[in-house]
Amino acid sequence: MAMETSFALILPVAFLAGKVSPALRNVVAVLAAAVSVLLVAVLYGQNLKLDYYALPFLGVELAMRTDALAWFFAIAVAAIGLLSIVFSLRYMQGRERLDFYYFAMLVVNAAMLGIVFSADLLSLFVFWEVMSWSTYLLISYRGGKAVAAGLKYMVMSIAGSCAMLLAIASLYATCGTLDLHGVAQGIAKASPGYSLFILLMFVLGFGIKNAIVPLHVWLPDAHSEAVSPFSAVLSSVLVRMGVYGLMLVMYGVLGEAGLARLKLGPVTFRHVLCWVAGVTILVPLLIAMLQDDAKRVVAWSSVGHGGYMLLGIAFGTALGVAGGLFHTLNYAVCVALLFLAVGAVEHRTGTRDLNELGGLMKRMPVTFVTALIAVCGLIGVPLTNGFVSKWFIYKTLITEGYPFLALVALIGTWATVLYGYKLIHNAFLGQLPSGYREVREVPFSMQLPMILLSLAVILFGVLPGIAVRAIGSAQASLGLKALESGLWALPPAVGELNTINILSGVIASLALVYVAFALATKARRVDQSDSYGAGSYVPMDRYQYSVNFYQRAHELIGPYVRDRVDEFYRWLVGKAEGFFEQARKMYSGNVNTYAAYIVIFLALLIILKLGGQI
Amino acid sequence: MLTRIALILALPVVGFLVAVLFMGLSRKITARIQRRYGPPLYQPIIDVVKLLTQKENISHGILFDLGILLGLAGAFVTIVFIPAGGIQPLSTSGDFLVVLYLMLLSPLGVALAAGASENPNASIGVSRKFILALGYEVPFLMAALAVMTRFGTTSLVQIVSSQQGSVLDWGALALPLPALATFLVLPAMLGIRPFDFAAAPQEIASGPMVELGGKYLGFAAIQGALHTYIVVALFVDLFLGGAANMLTFFAKMLAVFFVGVCINAVLPRFRVGQALRYLWKWPTILAFVGLVIAALRRG
Repeated sequence: MAMETSFALILPVAFLAGKVSPALRNVVAVLAAAVSVLLVAVLYGQNLKLDYYALPFLGVELAMRTDALAWFFAIAVAAIGLLSIVFSLRYMQGRERLDFYYFAMLVVNAAMLGIVFSADLLSLFVFWEVMSWSTYLLISYRGGKAVAAGLKYMVMSIAGSCAMLLAIASLYATCGTLDLHGVAQGIAKASPGYSLFILLMFVLGFGIKNAIVPLHVWLPDAHSEAVSPFSAVLSSVLVRMGVYGLMLVMYGVLGEAGLARLKLGPVTFRHVLCWVAGVTILVPLLIAMLQDDAKRVVAWSSVGHGGYMLLGIAFGTALGVAGGLFHTLNYAVCVALLFLAVGAVEHRTGTRDLNELGGLMKRMPVTFVTALIAVCGLIGVPLTNGFVSKWFIYKTLITEGYPFLALVALIGTWATVLYGYKLIHNAFLGQLPSGYREVREVPFSMQLPMILLSLAVILFGVLPGIAVRAIGSAQASLGLKALESGLWALPPAVGELNTINILSGVIASLALVYVAFALATKARRVDQSDSYGAGSYVPMDRYQYSVNFYQRAHELIGPYVRDRVDEFYRWLVGKAEGFFEQARKMYSGNVNTYAAYIVIFLALLIILKLGGQI
Repeated sequence: MLTRIALILALPVVGFLVAVLFMGLSRKITARIQRRYGPPLYQPIIDVVKLLTQKENISHGILFDLGILLGLAGAFVTIVFIPAGGIQPLSTSGDFLVVLYLMLLSPLGVALAAGASENPNASIGVSRKFILALGYEVPFLMAALAVMTRFGTTSLVQIVSSQQGSVLDWGALALPLPALATFLVLPAMLGIRPFDFAAAPQEIASGPMVELGGKYLGFAAIQGALHTYIVVALFVDLFLGGAANMLTFFAKMLAVFFVGVCINAVLPRFRVGQALRYLWKWPTILAFVGLVIAALRRG
């Protein structure tokens, strides 16, 4: 596509411009990101296909295409990419290697757009790899612990890519083509066992990106060590490329009929995926509750909410797939917002330790309000976007007869309430420590992305129909049944949900209550130190009362919700290192030993030869 | 249309009156159990009027005000979505799942106000309240899902109408285990003894409400009363067959509430850890078995 090539040309320009002047670089970076938003936006509702390169020795045409599903993901990628680059302008100011930073940010953006617009598996894989390594560069940008986190990411990412490459090579051998439609036709004729193998390889590749338990261990480290604007991109759209990939492989390539064939007795692939998603919701969200690092809280929540999306798309029903895709969009908006807000707090206070912060609401009101809206969206408080998509998912689970999965999803929501409130409370509420008296609100260029994202949270919560229409055409483009929805009310056949009525109810009650409130005597504002302490005053700065916020729950559930998978991998790595360490001793550096190896090897060969003759 | 709007407006008012009456009754019943005479039935009204007309009010900022307003408004909105004895004005706009989520608004408002009140006792209270919520939500959600699975719908109106035959159709008899489990966690949901540690007056100076006075305390008291109405009404709708008219509905609510008050009057207070252990043991086991049975019968 012309857009892609022009975009690719701009990328090095940002890097080179930085060599001329930082201001020019910033302008170029923002413009490049903004232009890609515009270019994606004009593609709405179009179905284009463009062969951009031929590989005669494979007989394969590399092509780009756009359809409703690709557009849905592309617009989220482009918009959040732009907002995070705008946020970076001031956040990153004064740091080193900024030319490199903006260059890598744009490469990541371009690679993600490339993934969603790919029309064949080889393009998909190439862009996937570009995304993977450029992500590594950005995760490790800060150095120190970030390099370790980046390596962990890289190792897992390579494992996933290998699995994908295996599947793609095997599909090429079977079908003789790499075009998505051609592969879909080819695999329909293959045996169920073979399609299961292909699907599992792709699930491995996409699942590592989407951080499905037990493939999630890279994510908490990577998200918390990356710089905040990139954490926002990473957890909102980059890891959700996994959701896009799964949608594509499950419904675009295998199709409903192909999926239905994959079963062992009464257990279908769908069942297994659902329960993996259930575990992915429950354990990480409970772990999130017990974290003290603000970014780790959000990172674990990212793992957990990936489970909701999987749960939605695992059901091929109109409501389920719509719920999964809608939640992908909603979560992207909320988590990008939350990472930016946490980044803003870190930018001004220099820490993200929830045991040290407090009372910032008074100093950073805009950051506080946007963070609160983001948390409400994550919880799914009515009138925020998360409410509608979670409702779709619960409704699907209950009507399809999976009450236990619905239970897991609902308990996950309560865990979200707990860690969400902890995040808000420990950073923004309570007493302001005297060390933060002089903290100022972040500059407007950092506020703007947060304000826009919070408006999106409310907009999709009150008028979910806007997004559901785009999702409906994405469903139709995969040959699935599309969800019909009004702008704010669902048809009665689907379920009882009318966001405008809820909105009017809330506004009317608030107005009623406010009238009573205003009629009573006006209140006098008191200082934070002027509070009731049962006869003794509450000393300033003497103790941090938000430490161990959920200690009683921690005592009870802490031992059960450890990240055992990570521990297992560490154990495996330790054992493997020990083994290789032993194996290394073979190379003693002594010529006599090597001569002995040669003799023993020859002796072995002779014995084998003799053994063959007997 | 007009009657519908009238019903929408009437329901919160009726709910408010019933809730206040219940508060008065609970004080009277508790007093009689403890061999006291007790205040008159309309004492809560006197209290609220006194609080709302108090001359001195103090505030800890905008969020402190807004949190209290949201707490009360959230309770009113929730009431409109719960069928009350044949009156169900907004039932097509939101099902049981919506009600479960609307029930979040009040605690969230109170929690935000408590956080904004800059008092350690308030924060400790909120932390206890949320741990308690995590405790009782596990069995309660299991029971709620058992009901939705058994009646094959998420709509509260349909859940009520499926129980309209004889007493044998009631949720309590169709689903005895989830009903029992919900009954066991009702005191926790209502925040009364033995689960009143979140707002323990003697320990942490009433927790989230420590900084509230005057109209703020009045609003919080009304919100607490409405919360009682919401929880008990939901129990009646889910397990006691709802009701065809309001009188029967309130009679059933009163019966449930009476038992709760009796428990409250005689039991001491759990510690947080004890409560969590209790809630995740018997009620959870009962609700879980009930949910398994409901799922098997459907499947």
